[in-house]
Amino acid sequence: MDGGKVTLGRTAGLYAGAAVLRLALFTLFPGLPELLTGRVEISTPVTSFKRLQEGLFLYNHNVSPYDGGVYHQAPLFLPLFSLLPSFASWPIFTYLLYIAVDLLGAAALGKIADSGEAGSSALFQSPRREKRWSGFVIAAVFLFNPFTIATCIGRSTSVFTTCAILHAIAKAVSGAPFSAMVALSFGAYLSMYPLLLLPPLLLLCYDRQRPERAMPSGLRFAATNVCVVVSVLGVLFPMSYLITGSWEFLPATYGVQLTLSDLTPNIGLWWYFFIEMFDSFRSFFLAVFWLHLSCYVGGLTIRIRRQPLVVLTLLLGIFAIFKPYPSISDSSLFLALVPLYRHVFPLMRYTFVIAAIIIYTTFLGPAFYHLWIYAGSGNANFFYAITLVWGLGQSLLVCDLTFAVLRDEWEVERPEMVGKEIRQI
Amino acid sequence: MAARRPLAKGATPDVDSPKSTPPISAVPAPNPPETVSTTRKQPPVEKPSDIRRRTWVILSFWLIVVCLGLPIWWETTTIYRANLPLTEMLEWSDGKACRPVFPLRISIQANALHEQEAQNLLRLTQHALDDLNDFSGHHLRLQLSPPTVEHAPREDGGTALTIRLIPGEATTSTLDPYAPILDITYPPNSIPSPTSSSSSLATYVASQLRSTFAEEQAIISYLLSSDSVPSDHRPQGLTPEAAESLSKRTTRSLKYAPTYHLTFSLFTSGPLPSSWDIEAAIDEYMKPVLDVLSPIHNFTIDTQVQLYATPGVQNQVLTKEDLSSFINAAEWPLSPSIGGAPTINFIVFVGNQTILTAPMENTETETYHTSQSWLIPQWGTVYLLPLPADTTQVSAETLKQPLLTFTSHLLSLTGTPQSGSLPLRLSTLARIRSADLLLRASSTLGSLARLALALPSISIPERVADGVSKTMTHLRQACDNLGGADGLAHARVAEAEAERAFFEKSMVGQLYFPDEHKIAVYIPLLGPIGIPLLMGLLNEVKAWRKRKRERAEKEAKKKE
Repeated sequence: MDGGKVTLGRTAGLYAGAAVLRLALFTLFPGLPELLTGRVEISTPVTSFKRLQEGLFLYNHNVSPYDGGVYHQAPLFLPLFSLLPSFASWPIFTYLLYIAVDLLGAAALGKIADSGEAGSSALFQSPRREKRWSGFVIAAVFLFNPFTIATCIGRSTSVFTTCAILHAIAKAVSGAPFSAMVALSFGAYLSMYPLLLLPPLLLLCYDRQRPERAMPSGLRFAATNVCVVVSVLGVLFPMSYLITGSWEFLPATYGVQLTLSDLTPNIGLWWYFFIEMFDSFRSFFLAVFWLHLSCYVGGLTIRIRRQPLVVLTLLLGIFAIFKPYPSISDSSLFLALVPLYRHVFPLMRYTFVIAAIIIYTTFLGPAFYHLWIYAGSGNANFFYAITLVWGLGQSLLVCDLTFAVLRDEWEVERPEMVGKEIRQI
Repeated sequence: MAARRPLAKGATPDVDSPKSTPPISAVPAPNPPETVSTTRKQPPVEKPSDIRRRTWVILSFWLIVVCLGLPIWWETTTIYRANLPLTEMLEWSDGKACRPVFPLRISIQANALHEQEAQNLLRLTQHALDDLNDFSGHHLRLQLSPPTVEHAPREDGGTALTIRLIPGEATTSTLDPYAPILDITYPPNSIPSPTSSSSSLATYVASQLRSTFAEEQAIISYLLSSDSVPSDHRPQGLTPEAAESLSKRTTRSLKYAPTYHLTFSLFTSGPLPSSWDIEAAIDEYMKPVLDVLSPIHNFTIDTQVQLYATPGVQNQVLTKEDLSSFINAAEWPLSPSIGGAPTINFIVFVGNQTILTAPMENTETETYHTSQSWLIPQWGTVYLLPLPADTTQVSAETLKQPLLTFTSHLLSLTGTPQSGSLPLRLSTLARIRSADLLLRASSTLGSLARLALALPSISIPERVADGVSKTMTHLRQACDNLGGADGLAHARVAEAEAERAFFEKSMVGQLYFPDEHKIAVYIPLLGPIGIPLLMGLLNEVKAWRKRKRERAEKEAKKKE
């Protein structure tokens, strides 16, 4: 599997295979898309396709899509989906759009993998970098990951964010900071949290500048790119204003994520907590949770300054655990980036436990949700317990990957310690 | 794929890592840097860049905590307490802010008397009244109305009663049943001379007035005495028996509400009668009373017919004990309350049962028809209506007696006093109700003030402060116009505002949130975050001080 000549034909075959698999699932099992759209593991209040349709209906009838408090997604989705032929009569176009977005993301991921950034960044070269997977394999792992497929079939709009983030990273790796910033701005516009990826992405862009256009001053480089992000957002927001006719979309989309006003269960850790929270402490703990989510950005960026792509990967893992409305789509993005670190896999210590936990929760989560909601023989604690375990599994993976990457760096400094047991103090 | 090797090797994947990392294994291990011999136990000295990096990492976390976390903590957990005028609120509830005074103006119409004589009579009567009165809260102020020829006295709101002095054979008095007028006839010789200091006519008028207002005075003094009015204006002379009967009456009447819902129900144990002319009957017999009550209450009305309704007690003759279980609450559709307004139920039960009234129990509610109807305190009335078996339609005429009973019971249920003519009873009702609302609003204010004092950690939103200030404005106006028409309106608003302020949603939730809960909230949630942060900072500070000391020692050595 490692290495191997990747021809254009094989890549095309891979994409065609992924597309055909998805199309087959869409068409051969007509009930499947609706079933998956209704699953809380896939559709959160801020990404659900059902809610998108509700917003679309209101929008097409000249009612503000945010009336009724169901639709919490970015306004620019509305003209995009209105351009497609109606979903009710021609669902195939929507399917094709989602498949295309998945394939675009995979293409970006393949580029990231082929650049070799994971093993040898501008400031650090891993001694193990030779042992890696090609972009073909990594794209295949992404495309045939059941989580990715389920997200695509469930038509969660988070696939657009995933695609934007992957493209931002791909552009940054290939030395196109401007495009990277534009892609990140789109991600931030769609889901807000990708904005937190800006610091490591800036560093990645800075490290991978093309020599002919390099900007040596880090501060100037950062300022320029932050200006790009601000101006792109400065275009997107007025456009949204023009589309919906009011600034109502700001509280309805970002406000909902910030205040967690929709407490629909999901696989994250927030909803249960804020159901139980005393009202007078609610706003304080909202702030604590958001600060907790964002405080890793600075620390990780500084600590693993030499490998910004690692920081991006770890942050995506952290977001998949601690976001207000996470879904398996976020996990699939994190799991798509993890194989880039094939070279440090031998340094990881808990791979078996992690794999076991993720498989265990994948099966038990839906079962407990069924017990709680449909069978009525369980309660909310059943499902929440499983989401805790799911979070535990992912955080183990994040920790283990961090450990492996740091150990890899450390062994370069201390070659005499290679292969020795270490003890954390 | 990826995980296979580590999985197979279990927890010691590093064993074969040299195989996968040829560049490192190529480095000759037995050629160690000079530190190695000493670092068999001790790790090598950290590079300054690593130390600096760690400082930055710790700083980055602490910057977020200090720059964002602390302000947010302060902002979101400070308790907003709107300023409440606590002392004034307590004054209201202690009755110090308002001395409930009911100045009733009584005008005397004496067309047959000269101005001078009339003035003199008025002065003497006022003296006599003041001598008789022992309750300063309830004033009767006499005034002379300009002589008018017309029979009808001027309808002006300020006057509670008009006395018409008419020359006649003997000293008699009659209360006009339709207007607040007391007709007093007097023999011509009883007009006091300008010089006399007492007059039998004046005394007579005074005692008549006093007896007319005796009930109102008793009720008001009862209200004031049951509330926390300080003893100096607490009225004297309320006998325990009087107080008991008043308290009985108060418990019978419903709590004041601006709107009452009247439900008229026809229950019959068989299939007949199936309809009744209730609308016509209400218009005919009850509407007039509802109209005169309208300044004080609004009424909404609905009616229903229920066939095959079995009462809770099937006896032919109902005893007093049966009455309480007669209503078949489980099966009869008598909803407790429709909308926000309290419901008053009027039930006509078609059947030939009768109520056994022992002579001793004749002091029950009614003065007449004791055998056919009874009043259920704060709930309504049941009337037993015997009808021929084949009646299909109950005519309005048949309903006359039940409705008249209902009407009189309605007055009693709304708390109208029992003596005097109807107009007088109603104006008295308005005054009683305003006093009642005033006292209730004041005591709610007092409770709110005591609550705010007792729980220093409860937040007081701006809305509550608004409500309190509105309440106090209206209370002040109500207090100033207690005897007048506006008094009731203001008291009504004041009471509603006070209730709204007291039952503010965000405050009710905090009533049972003691400070100990805060520890329970903070420690488990913030402990796991706080301990690593604190330990990191402490270690960093310790290391920094150690480095400083070492540097100082080094420099000291150099100097030597």
